[in-house]
Amino acid sequence: MPQQLGELTFLRELAPRFAIPVPEFLEWPAERKAVSDCLDRWKTALAKADILVGGRGKAGLVERVDSAADAIRALKRLSAAELNGRMARTSYLVQHVPAKHEVYTAITYDSRWLSPAITLSLKGGVDVETIAESDKRTFPVDVYQGLDAYQASELLESLGCPRPVISPLSRALVNLWDMFITSGMRMCEVNPWRITPDNRPLACDFKGVLDEANFKHRNIEFELPEYPESVSEFQQEMDRWNAASYQGQAHVSDLGGKGVLPILFGGGASTIIIETLLQSGGDPMFLSDFGGNPPYDRMRGTASICFRHKLADAVVLLILGGKANNTRIDVTFQAIADALAEHAHRRSSELPVIVGRGGPRLVQGLLALQRCLEELGWPYTIFGPDTPITMVAQYAGRLCQYLRSSKEAEPQSQKQQ
Amino acid sequence: MRATKLTDILRRGDRVAVSNITGREASKVTDISQRYCGNIVGGWALGKGGDQLPVGPDSSLPVFADYADLLEHLPPEQHPNKIVIYSPPEAVYGEVKNVVKFSRGAVETIFIITENVSIEVSAKIYKLCRAENIDVLGCNTLGVINATEHVRVGAVGGDAPEETFHPGSATIISNSGNMVNTMASYLYGAGIGTRFGISTGKDQLILTPLRDLLELVLADELTQLLVLYVEPGGLYEQIAIQWMREVNFSKPMIVYVGGEVAERCNVSLGHAGAVVEGAGTSARDKKALFDDYLQAPPFAPGMTFPPDRPPLRGLRLEALHDLPEAARVLYDILGRERDYRHYHPLRLNPWLKNMGRLGTRLPPALVLGEGVIPSPYKEQIEEFHRTQFGRLPARRDMRNASHASSNDGATPRIYGRSVLRLMDTRSFAYSLILAWTGYPPSRDFEPQLVEKTLVAAMTNGPGTISAQAAKLSASAGNSPHVAMIATLAAIGEVHGGNGKEAVSLMVDRFANSELTNPYDPARRELVEQKARQAATEILRRKRAAAEQDVPFQRVPCLGHPVYRTEEVNYDPREQVIARFLEQIGVYHAFLDFYHRLAFAMRQVGVTRNVLAVNVDAAIACVWLGICWPLLCEKKLSVERAKNIAVAAFALGRVAGGASEYFDHADFGEPMDMRIPVAECVALTPYTEEA
Repeated sequence: MPQQLGELTFLRELAPRFAIPVPEFLEWPAERKAVSDCLDRWKTALAKADILVGGRGKAGLVERVDSAADAIRALKRLSAAELNGRMARTSYLVQHVPAKHEVYTAITYDSRWLSPAITLSLKGGVDVETIAESDKRTFPVDVYQGLDAYQASELLESLGCPRPVISPLSRALVNLWDMFITSGMRMCEVNPWRITPDNRPLACDFKGVLDEANFKHRNIEFELPEYPESVSEFQQEMDRWNAASYQGQAHVSDLGGKGVLPILFGGGASTIIIETLLQSGGDPMFLSDFGGNPPYDRMRGTASICFRHKLADAVVLLILGGKANNTRIDVTFQAIADALAEHAHRRSSELPVIVGRGGPRLVQGLLALQRCLEELGWPYTIFGPDTPITMVAQYAGRLCQYLRSSKEAEPQSQKQQ
Repeated sequence: MRATKLTDILRRGDRVAVSNITGREASKVTDISQRYCGNIVGGWALGKGGDQLPVGPDSSLPVFADYADLLEHLPPEQHPNKIVIYSPPEAVYGEVKNVVKFSRGAVETIFIITENVSIEVSAKIYKLCRAENIDVLGCNTLGVINATEHVRVGAVGGDAPEETFHPGSATIISNSGNMVNTMASYLYGAGIGTRFGISTGKDQLILTPLRDLLELVLADELTQLLVLYVEPGGLYEQIAIQWMREVNFSKPMIVYVGGEVAERCNVSLGHAGAVVEGAGTSARDKKALFDDYLQAPPFAPGMTFPPDRPPLRGLRLEALHDLPEAARVLYDILGRERDYRHYHPLRLNPWLKNMGRLGTRLPPALVLGEGVIPSPYKEQIEEFHRTQFGRLPARRDMRNASHASSNDGATPRIYGRSVLRLMDTRSFAYSLILAWTGYPPSRDFEPQLVEKTLVAAMTNGPGTISAQAAKLSASAGNSPHVAMIATLAAIGEVHGGNGKEAVSLMVDRFANSELTNPYDPARRELVEQKARQAATEILRRKRAAAEQDVPFQRVPCLGHPVYRTEEVNYDPREQVIARFLEQIGVYHAFLDFYHRLAFAMRQVGVTRNVLAVNVDAAIACVWLGICWPLLCEKKLSVERAKNIAVAAFALGRVAGGASEYFDHADFGEPMDMRIPVAECVALTPYTEEA
């Protein structure tokens, strides 16, 4: 997953380095006196949860406070907040900035120009989706030349930005661009810039995403804070394993399903297979993409993690991918077979296995898997590339649904006896 | 875009150079591409300049130090016009800059296969190449195939492109490389071949966007059908559809939009481009866009279309496996001939199946009939079974598991059979065959043969080193089991372990031959033929060894230090077994082979007299005869069959070792095996130095 940046990291690390004007802030935990002093100075403040998820305001994770007592109560509450599976790392207090204008800005890479682009709106402070198309504009930025102050001021002028604001905001936007390009970001958003009555722009909320493929993000010279996540141990282990190597993919997203354990190959194929499983009652345990021609050790490690966490509870094991271009089927299937043999003892009963695959050295791969399944005595059906992956997924989904319903029906029928 | 025709992207006659050509993936793909179409002129790789990359059975490609080196050394007519980049992500930008710098105007297209290239670098590459009028496919493309002209770049089609890509009328453009392959094979089932297969790459920035490709498709006379696989992310389709409306795009299309579930889960599945960041880029939005453009509901098999509103612009699929049927329907509606006459509807076709007991409980809808394995896979599987001899056991965690034994608290079992029942009704030799092979004897006389081998192995007199080991142990004051271990420890490759080599020799000769029943007298001729062949090869080896003046590797289990003086020699213990077989009227192919081999070796001149078939050979032959049907049926591994021959000798001899111990312990003196100092010879001169 791309590395996200929150407002607190921006306020503490990035804004001072790139001279981006921001309001004052105070990070929790803090002395009562420090909180008091801030409120004495600011009069009003916003207490915010430091959490990497959108929609904080709507979810009640931003609270306006006027007194130290209220602020401390709010900071304590917000530091333990949880939203959409994400947990707050801490909380912080930001000076409330009275404003006469709010401006939206985002810098990202745009598919229309295949280059960086800046999006601006003078009706900021609300979700970008709710800003009317006519009220926002996107302009390409030359990736080599970057955004300069003259270009920024022209853009602002074309949007009808009040003249006194143009110069300070242009300078701030140039600094924002510098941060974006120097840190190797995929996107950054300031929403809003609050323009004070004396025409000073202050970046009052921030979201950013670093591009992990960009070496620059390794040079940001500060430790990226770790945010606790309420994700499963399986997901955490798989994320670590995935990040450990570029050889072969080990993408997983835990879906919490209780049916099919899917070992899937190919980004496109995996998506389609999961969609089909969901439609046909397969209740997949997770999303996965294990393609990219992983070597034996990588594939064995990936499969071992999946089996260690999920094999015991699976109803059907599905090993499925399209007709591979690169991925060697003998290598990957031997690795899966060996991992399966290693972890088969986790099950108290046999597990039906449905397999579908095509690609280099297919026959050797299928026969290796078949030998393992015969050895284990587990029921299996193996398809080749002439059977569409969606049909195989559909069959696995229906089989899973039947097995679950017949299992659930068993105790009831016993009760009736 | 530089290209004005689809063939400008790739055509026969293009000269392709590959960066990082010696890399794991690049070298493999280069080899296959070269066999498929031979369009690669060479490549470069850091630190590998001057190497040759082997391609095909007897050819190679030059590897240069860098791109400039390649241009310097290749003749001008071989200078590349297409570049494939396989370099690591951090090197990609530098490679592209070099290509642009050194071959201005010559290079037309760069295919960037590398994954995990940063988005900033992608944007820079686009800008740089656009200015130089070079087209870029990627980053993270799988490549392109021009099936009409039988050429490809990258890995489209895997290791057998011709299996999937048959020349035809459909051009496939896909965000997923794998789906190019999959959709081409589905289409071929419907009798529709491929014109072009294009993997656009799946990063957030797709450097040859759909609109540009559609312009080429529109101009391509051979493309009758456009097939799209689309994922979430980017406004590529929105822009393309807008353009198609403007130009009144005339080619019909079939489109599949995937990735809705990934959006819900906010997961990119390795496709950075699938991260949804704005309105109009989601899978749902893209489906709506295509539905609006196509002016037809999503396709479902069996659906009919109003005669006054046929889906002339094409169809959108809800299920990918409906592609062949949709293509057939569309061609029928448009009144177009399909490229091939066949039509194979897609269906569940199991290749290998064993649903065991579960299969009997499933409702009819989930019970699958027998499948048909198509060519060439059927032949490959048959070939595998034909050439693979014996069982290839699948490894598993054996820490607390055993096939060989079990005990449910009441009955100990050997391979599932009650030890108590075996004790009641069977012999030790019978149980031994079961315990070592996993199966009971298939012939009544086999336990008797085993019994004889055990007796034969028991002793060859007190001078043998295994007997001596037991006596030494007794002399040192050990317990009997220690003396038995000493006996076993004195068995080695040249004493008792030779049976393993004998089994190897016979397996090499007879594996996958007509011999499936080792007791079948009708195989005498085959045995004679194999013995003669073996003898001739041994002679050749012996002569070669003599020429090289190196020791000749002797034939295992032939000859005996005592029984060697006659014209024709026999080991009397082996003869007991041979006579027993004769008495019960059983032919034994392996024992016969060994005798015939001994004679054939004299006949061709390897030996001056006929060597004795020794008892090790007899043991190996007896046990291989028992194992042979199981090997043929792939129920037993060859490795186990070899080891059994050693274990059989060891089991008999360890009993003999115990007998030496008992005798020596009763009648010998402690330490009597010690050699007096006076009899020991010092071979190293004394020195006073510490």
